[in-house]
Amino acid sequence: MKGRFYIQGTAAISPQESFSGEFTPQLLTLADKNLLRVKEPDYRAFIAPNSLRRMSRVLKMGLTTAIRCLQNSGVAVPDAIITGTGKGSLHDTERFLHDIRRYSETALNPTPFIQSTYNSVNGLVALQVQCTEYNNTFVHRGFSFEHALLDAMMLLSEGRAGNVLAGAFDEMSDEYFYIRSRIGSWKEQLTQPEEMFTAGTPGALSGEGSAFFVLSSTPSDVHIAGLKMLYKPSQERVHETLEAFLRQHGLQPSDIGLLISGRSGDTNFDHYYHALTAQYFPQTPEVPFKQLCGEYDTAASFALWLAVERMRKEELRHVLIYNQFFGEQHTFILLGR
Amino acid sequence: MEALKLKLKQQIIEALNLQDTKPEDIDDNAPLFGEGLGLDSIDSLELMVLLERNYHIKVEDPREGRKILQSVQTMAEFIQSKQPA
Repeated sequence: MKGRFYIQGTAAISPQESFSGEFTPQLLTLADKNLLRVKEPDYRAFIAPNSLRRMSRVLKMGLTTAIRCLQNSGVAVPDAIITGTGKGSLHDTERFLHDIRRYSETALNPTPFIQSTYNSVNGLVALQVQCTEYNNTFVHRGFSFEHALLDAMMLLSEGRAGNVLAGAFDEMSDEYFYIRSRIGSWKEQLTQPEEMFTAGTPGALSGEGSAFFVLSSTPSDVHIAGLKMLYKPSQERVHETLEAFLRQHGLQPSDIGLLISGRSGDTNFDHYYHALTAQYFPQTPEVPFKQLCGEYDTAASFALWLAVERMRKEELRHVLIYNQFFGEQHTFILLGR
Repeated sequence: MEALKLKLKQQIIEALNLQDTKPEDIDDNAPLFGEGLGLDSIDSLELMVLLERNYHIKVEDPREGRKILQSVQTMAEFIQSKQPA
């Protein structure tokens, strides 16, 4: 794909102090379950009270992050709004399904039904900033954010938009946490983020969050140089793809100043990271990020937010993000200065 | 009637998540939509559901609904009229 995709501004709500602008990585202490919950800001500064009362948590998170991102980018109305979400508004979906059962498919509240649709956040953002342009939501599990990013890059590349608001949001509900626990997605014993890489146990720590970016064709200090996705690849395929991806951008592994990796301490899948770093990045500084935000479908959006933060504070020419989601969806994102 | 109106106000506050609103803040005769509580069309659907769930009253005719949902007073009178003598 032609062109550079400059990041004009970012915003994130996560388990970290990412929204306040006073971010320093913190290892949280979990009280009773392997779940890193987001630190929620005061939404009243961003959303009118009459709208706020009706919104579920993830809608408030998504809308507020999007508005803050636009503010940080100096963009009032974007040319397009594109998001990715693995699960959308889980809370509303569960509430709606419970009510169907409880009230035998009668007397159902309209609000959780309306809000349970995946594109609710996009609609709310569009209404809030009065944007009637391109509006799309991607729901592809561990590739949801990546597809939103790809769509944004394509719009910019084709000259169909000058700037695009692209982002992702996902929440974790008690019920979904329990369901994923049953299939072994999360570590069985309570494990603190500081222990997750040394515990040597299967499963990750669950997480949630929301991150937004304004991408544009107008130069800024950081740009996305490339994006590559792989579905259920073998280890060899991951390596071949990385080599081709870097070659395509005229780079060697040694040109990468920082590797941001999606290591989660999950013994079922961390071998992808071990093998990749051992073969290509033995001397490259590596920053894992899931001890900060946990594992969720769109965790790569937090990785991108973190990468931009690091690039704005450090002299890094090229940063590579490598993330995989339970062995199925693998992503490389290359950032340049 | 007074007990019914108080209960109705509590149910409205809960159903519509009217944070920072107490039952005593809602005037019996104040309009629910536009002025007064400032509710909107989605809230009117929520109130229909409230009537169905809590009082087993189904409002089929939207024109009838408009009259019933004018205020807490009109809602309470309607509920009372539907209850067995």
